[in-house]
Amino acid sequence: MKSGENYKSRRTFLKGIAASLLLIPLVQSCKEKVLKMAIRLSGTNHILGHRLWTKNFPKPTREIRIPYLIVGGGITGLSAARQLHKKGISDFLLVEMEDHLGGNSSNGENRYSKYPLGAHYLPLPNFQDKELLQFLEETKIITGYDAKGFPVFDEEQLTFSPQERLYYKNSWQEGLVPRLGMTNAEEEQFERFFDKMAFFRNAKGSDGAYLFDIPLALSSTDTETRALDTITMQEWMERNGFTTDVLRYYVDYCCRDDYGLGVAYVSAWAGIHYFCGRKHDATADKKENVLTWAEGNARLASHLKKYTDQKIVKKHLVYQVETRNDTVAVTAFDNEKQESVTIIADRVLLATPQFINQYLLTGRKEFSKAFHYAPWLLATITVAELTDNQSYPLCWDNVIHDAQGLGYIYDQHQSLQQLHPKKVITYYHSFSSGNLPQTRRAVYKKDKEYWKQQVIADLQKAHPDIERYIETIDIHLLGHGMISPVPGFLFGKEKELARQPIANRIYFGHSDLAGISIFEEAFHQGINAVNKMINDATLDS
Amino acid sequence: MGKKFLRFEFLLLIAVFTIATCGLVYELVAGTLASYLLGDSVKQFSLIIGVYLFSMGIGSYFSKFITKKLLDTFVEIEILVGLVGGLSSVVLFLLFESVDYFQFILYLLVFTTGCLVGLEIPLLMNILKDRVAFRDLVSNVFTFDYIGALLASILFPLVLVPQLGVMRTSLFFGMINIGIAIGLCFLLKKELNRPFVLKTKAIASFLFLLLVFIFSEAILSFSEGKLYGENIVYTSSTPYQRIVLTHNKSDYRLYLNNNLQFSSADEYRYHEALVHPVMAAAKKVDHVLVLGGGDGLAVREILKYKEVKSITLVDLDEGMTKLFQTNTILTGFNQNSLTDSKVKVINQDAYIWAKNCPQKFDVAIIDFPDPSNYSLGKLYSLNFYKSLETILTPEAFVVVQTTSPYFAPKSFWCINKTIHEIFPKVDAYHAYVPSFGEWGYTIATLNPQATFATVNRKVEGLRFYNYQFDKFNFFSKDMVSNNVEINRLDNQILVRYFDEEWGKL
Repeated sequence: MKSGENYKSRRTFLKGIAASLLLIPLVQSCKEKVLKMAIRLSGTNHILGHRLWTKNFPKPTREIRIPYLIVGGGITGLSAARQLHKKGISDFLLVEMEDHLGGNSSNGENRYSKYPLGAHYLPLPNFQDKELLQFLEETKIITGYDAKGFPVFDEEQLTFSPQERLYYKNSWQEGLVPRLGMTNAEEEQFERFFDKMAFFRNAKGSDGAYLFDIPLALSSTDTETRALDTITMQEWMERNGFTTDVLRYYVDYCCRDDYGLGVAYVSAWAGIHYFCGRKHDATADKKENVLTWAEGNARLASHLKKYTDQKIVKKHLVYQVETRNDTVAVTAFDNEKQESVTIIADRVLLATPQFINQYLLTGRKEFSKAFHYAPWLLATITVAELTDNQSYPLCWDNVIHDAQGLGYIYDQHQSLQQLHPKKVITYYHSFSSGNLPQTRRAVYKKDKEYWKQQVIADLQKAHPDIERYIETIDIHLLGHGMISPVPGFLFGKEKELARQPIANRIYFGHSDLAGISIFEEAFHQGINAVNKMINDATLDS
Repeated sequence: MGKKFLRFEFLLLIAVFTIATCGLVYELVAGTLASYLLGDSVKQFSLIIGVYLFSMGIGSYFSKFITKKLLDTFVEIEILVGLVGGLSSVVLFLLFESVDYFQFILYLLVFTTGCLVGLEIPLLMNILKDRVAFRDLVSNVFTFDYIGALLASILFPLVLVPQLGVMRTSLFFGMINIGIAIGLCFLLKKELNRPFVLKTKAIASFLFLLLVFIFSEAILSFSEGKLYGENIVYTSSTPYQRIVLTHNKSDYRLYLNNNLQFSSADEYRYHEALVHPVMAAAKKVDHVLVLGGGDGLAVREILKYKEVKSITLVDLDEGMTKLFQTNTILTGFNQNSLTDSKVKVINQDAYIWAKNCPQKFDVAIIDFPDPSNYSLGKLYSLNFYKSLETILTPEAFVVVQTTSPYFAPKSFWCINKTIHEIFPKVDAYHAYVPSFGEWGYTIATLNPQATFATVNRKVEGLRFYNYQFDKFNFFSKDMVSNNVEINRLDNQILVRYFDEEWGKL
C-alpha cells in the first residue's frame, strides 16, 4: 500500500472523528422537545389478493358488455389504454384491484411532500426508443429537439445536482462509486469492470442487434451472450477476476436496486444488462442523468391515466377469466359492494403479473412457478433535522456502503424552494434471498415496530442521531415487489409459454413477461399487446 | 499507624489519578479548540499532543531540583494546574481575535500545563519513596496515571463536550483539580508545613473558577463579539439566518450568518452600481421588481426615480424585512424605503413566487446571496431565468448581482453566460466596493435593439455612479474567464465553480 493512500484514509477517518466531535455540542444545543414518533404500515392489498387462493366469492349478479378489457392498472395497463386511444378505440374498460391506479408507480403524500410508493425514476431513454421519446414529448418532459436532433429535457424534471452520494469509510462522497479510501487493486478492478461494461454496452451480435438492449426483447439472440443467463452474477464476477469486496458490494447494490436480488442469486445476463442496456445516447453530451419527481413514477402514471377517464373500474378483484364462445368472460369481485360482476369482452389484456394469472386461468401453475418476485420495503420518514458529518451535502440518492437497505431518496430534492421546515426521505430495502416465498412470509410476519427499528438502525450508520428527529415513519410493504430474474428465467421456456395469447382473445402483458421490472418494459408491454390485439381483431373481421 | 499510612498513600494515588484525567482533558480541550478555531484538525491535534508530552518530559526533568517541602509543593502544583488548565479554554476563546499571538499562547498554555503535570508524578514518587516499596510504588502510580488517561479520553467526547461544552469542561476539571488540593489540605494538614496558606490559596482559586464557570455563557457571547472585531449593537435570529449588526467608529456592518452583507461606509457604491445603470437604460420603469435585498437599500435607490409607480420586493425572510422596517438604526440606512407607499413587501420564496406571479415588470433587480450552496445555486439556474422571463414585459431590463469577477471569474461569467441563454442582449460591469473588493453585475434586456449606455432618465445627487456606463463595463484580463458552462439545475456547475474559486482564498 502506498503511504499516501494510508494517509488519505486516515485523514478521512480523523476528519470524520473531529467533525462528529464538533457536531455534538451543536446537536445538543438544538435539542427540541422530543415528539412521539408516528409509525404507519401500509402495502399492496394482499389480504384481498390472497382471497384468490380460496375463491370463495359470491355468484355474479351483474353483467357488463365491452369490446376491449384491460385487467390491471399498473404501467402496462395504463400504457395499453393510451395505445388503444391512439388507435382510435374508446370502447374499453380497465379493471383494478386497488383503489388507485399506477401499480408500482404509485405515491403517497404528507404535509411536507409527495413521495413514491415504488418506482421513482426513469433514466434518459435510449435514442432509438422512439415510442418512449414520443410519450415524453406528449407530456412535455421533452420540451423540443436541438439542432442536432437530440431531445431537450425539461430542466425541472431532470434530477437536480448533486444527484448521488455514497457513505463509505465514515465519509460521504459524490457519486455511488467510491473514489476516496480505495486501494490500487480496488481501483483497478472498478476500472476494468467499467471497461468491460462499456464494451458490452456498445457491442452487437451477429444478428446486428445490441447484446443488451431495452426493451430486452430487442437484444441479440447470440447463444454465447445468452449463456450468461445460466450463471449468477457472482459466478460471472469470480470467473472474470472481479473479487474485491468493495466492487462486489457495489454491483450487489445495483442488482438489488433493479431486480431485488443480489449478485449471489441474480442472472449474470440481467446483472450486466443493468450496466449495458442503457446507451446514454439521447443527449449530445452523453449524459447519464435520470428523470425524477417527488412522487416518483406516479407522475408518469398520472400522465397515462388521462386516457382512462370514465373507463376505470377500481376496487374490483378479477378472479376468473375464461373464453366463452367468441368472447371472454371475466368475473370480478367488487370489494366495495361485496358482490361479483361478469364482464363479457371481445378481447382481454391481462396486464397482471403471472403469480396472479395462475389463479385466474387454469393450467398456468406449472410455468408460473418459474416467476420469482422479491419483496420490498419502503419507509418514508419525516425528520426535523437530518444531520451527518457534512462531508458531502444531501443528494437526491443517498447510499450507505455495507448497509442492509439501498439507502434513501431525498423526496424534496426536486423542489425549487430554498428551505423546507421538515425533510422527507424514502428508504428502500429489497429482500434478496434464495427462497423468496419463505422470505415473503417472514416479511409479512413482522410488525411495524420491528421494521421501524430495522430502518433506523440502517440509517444510523450515516446519521447517528436520526432517531430523535424522526416525526413520522410510513412503512410500505410490497410482497411481490418486482420480477427477479434468477438464472435460466429470461430466456427459459416458461416465460415464453406465459406470454402466448389464448385463442386470439386473451392477451398477456406485464413487466414480468419482459423479465425485468423497469418502466420502459411495462410501457412497451402495453403498446405491443394492444398492437397485437388490434391486428388480430382486424384479421378476424 | 498502618491504616493511616494506607490512607495517605491512597489519597495521593487518587491525586495522581485526577491529575492524569485532568491533564489529558486540558490537552483534548486545547486540541479541540485549536482545530475548531484554526482548522486542520490533524495538524493541530498532532502538534498539541507532541508539545504536551514533550513538556511533561521537561517537567519531569526539573522535578529533581525540588528537594524541600515536597508535599506542600505537590499541593501547590495541583492548584496551579487547576488554574492554568481550567482557564486555558477561556483564555483561548478570548484571545482568538489576535491570531498572530494565538498560536503562541495556545502552545504556551499547553506547555505550562504539560510541565506542571510532568512535575507531579516524579514529585509524588519522591514523597512516597520512603514509605512504600519501590516495586509497588512504580506500579501503583503508573497504573492510576494510565487509568486516569483512559477515563479522560472516553469521557471527553462522549459526556463532557456534549453536556458541558468545551469551555465549561476545562473549567469543571480545573475545579476538580483544585478540589483535590483542598481535600489534601484538610486531610493531610499534619503532614503539610503551611496548611493554612495552602488552604486559603486553594479555596480562593476554586471560588474564582466557579465564578468563571457561572459566567461562561456571557464570556462566550463576548468572545463572539470579538470574532467580529467590532462592537455588536444588535443580533437577531430568524428561522433563516442570524443577523448581526456591528458598530465601529462611523461604520455599521451587517452580517448574515457571519457573511458581510453591507458596510454603511461604502454600501452606496454597491447599491448605486446595482440600481442606476438598469434604471437609466430601461425604456419604462413603472413597475420594478426586487428579488432578495431585504435590507431595502436597493429600494431606497429606486425610490429616487419619481416616475416609478410600484416596487415589489420579494425576500424570503420576514424577520429581515420587518427589522429593516422598524429598527431605527436600520431604517436610517434605507431611509424608510420599505414602508414607502409605493413598496410592496412579499415574504416568499422568490423562485416559487416567480413561477406563480401573474404580474409583469419593466425592471427586475436581483440581489440574491452568492451561490455558495446548492440551494442558492438554483436561483442562478437557466430554469430560474426562464421563469423570470415570464414575469417581464417584452422590453424589460434586468440586473443581477453576479459575485466578484476578480475573486471568482468563472462564477461571474458562468452566471453571465446563463443569463445570455434567455436574454438576447447581455453585458457585464463592475465597481469597486472597499469592504467587498471588486464586485460585478450582469445587465440584460429582452429587447435586442436596446443599448445599456442609453440614459433615459437620471437623478441628481448620486455619490458614486455618474451614468457613464461605458466606464464600468471594461474587464481586465485577470477578471475574464471564457471557458465556462451554463448553470442548470441538473449540473449546478456554478456552485462548483464558486466553491473552487472562493475555496482557494
